[in-house]
Amino acid sequence: MEGERDKRGLMDIQEEDFDVVVRISREDDIAIARQMAKQLAQEAGFSLADVTKIATAVSELARNIYRYAQTGVIMIRKQYQETNNPTVQVVAVDRGPGIEDLDLALRRGYTTHERSLGIGLSGVKRLMDSFEIASKVGVGTTVVVEKRRRKF
Amino acid sequence: MEKSQLGILVEELGTSDYERKLWQKLLQEATSGAEASELRERLREPLLELLKELGEGSFGTKLQLVSKKLKEFPTVDILPLVLELCGELRQEKEQALQEFQQMLSELATPVIRIWTDVLLVPLVGGLDSDRAQGMVERLLERASSTRAKVVIVDVSGVPMIDTAAGGFLIEMFSAVKLLGADVILTGLKPEVAHTLVKLGIDFQMVVIARDLEDALRRAIAMLEEEKRQQQKIARVWGGGFLGEGEESDEV
Repeated sequence: MEGERDKRGLMDIQEEDFDVVVRISREDDIAIARQMAKQLAQEAGFSLADVTKIATAVSELARNIYRYAQTGVIMIRKQYQETNNPTVQVVAVDRGPGIEDLDLALRRGYTTHERSLGIGLSGVKRLMDSFEIASKVGVGTTVVVEKRRRKF
Repeated sequence: MEKSQLGILVEELGTSDYERKLWQKLLQEATSGAEASELRERLREPLLELLKELGEGSFGTKLQLVSKKLKEFPTVDILPLVLELCGELRQEKEQALQEFQQMLSELATPVIRIWTDVLLVPLVGGLDSDRAQGMVERLLERASSTRAKVVIVDVSGVPMIDTAAGGFLIEMFSAVKLLGADVILTGLKPEVAHTLVKLGIDFQMVVIARDLEDALRRAIAMLEEEKRQQQKIARVWGGGFLGEGEESDEV
């Protein structure tokens, strides 16, 4: 899915480049993160269905941070490309325990948490257009997802 | 000389007439040379008002400016008082917030008896909080004590359902079913429905209704069906054995 170069690229993402940065350390921060994502996607002119998908994806990523890494950061930005179709990019970074087996973590129904359906991460992948993940045990996890605004 | 210097400083500090008035009062009292204990009492009010008006951050920077420009200003004596007032303000806010949260948990999740043996639960807001957890407890309590046969759950006030909220709903439905009641889910918005399909959450264990009207109609149909079944059983057991046989002539 991604080369060695991209993986290193995922690890040194600069906070200043983003429109919104939400630090996740309490459960309430999850709601703040998804509210911010919702607002940003609405401003970028996404349809209501896509706004909800983006907000849901952010909610899942933020909850993963809160559950498994306790603290981390959600960063969101709008990007305008030459095709004039804006993209919303969401980056979730944590310095948590890391994921040992990424393929297993992305499998539907797999979870290490007692009160979880185990479909969050694979769900995020299906909610968004692109999905990249890099993780190292003992170092942390970075997830980058994007959604393009569709042409009407 | 002294007065005009104070005036210039006040002009510099305040951005509105009200703020300037407060600064004027604070600086005058602070430099009046009153006794420490009396000073505290006199400074209390203008300090509190300024803190409320400006917030701790910008009040701090302005206080720095004052102590730099006005040598006789007793910054060190005032700081403990400022800290004390900040604490008071924060406590006030926290208390208000706590009261508000308590009020919200009472208000936001009513359980309504909408028909004989039918309860309606209109869910509003996010479902991933302690509030939602408390709501489930109350619902189960009500469903058990009223011996409800159908519980209608309306999620039209829920902006989005992620896997945590979905899991919460599934848990709630299972618990209601364990009490012997049926669940009808209604009010799913199109964008929420699409998200649920993408996430792979389905609510197969419950009946889904288009809107509240549809839900109520189905609930009544379920009750009628149950009544018919009971009458049938009563008849089979030989009219009147269960005490309900005599009503069942038309079946």
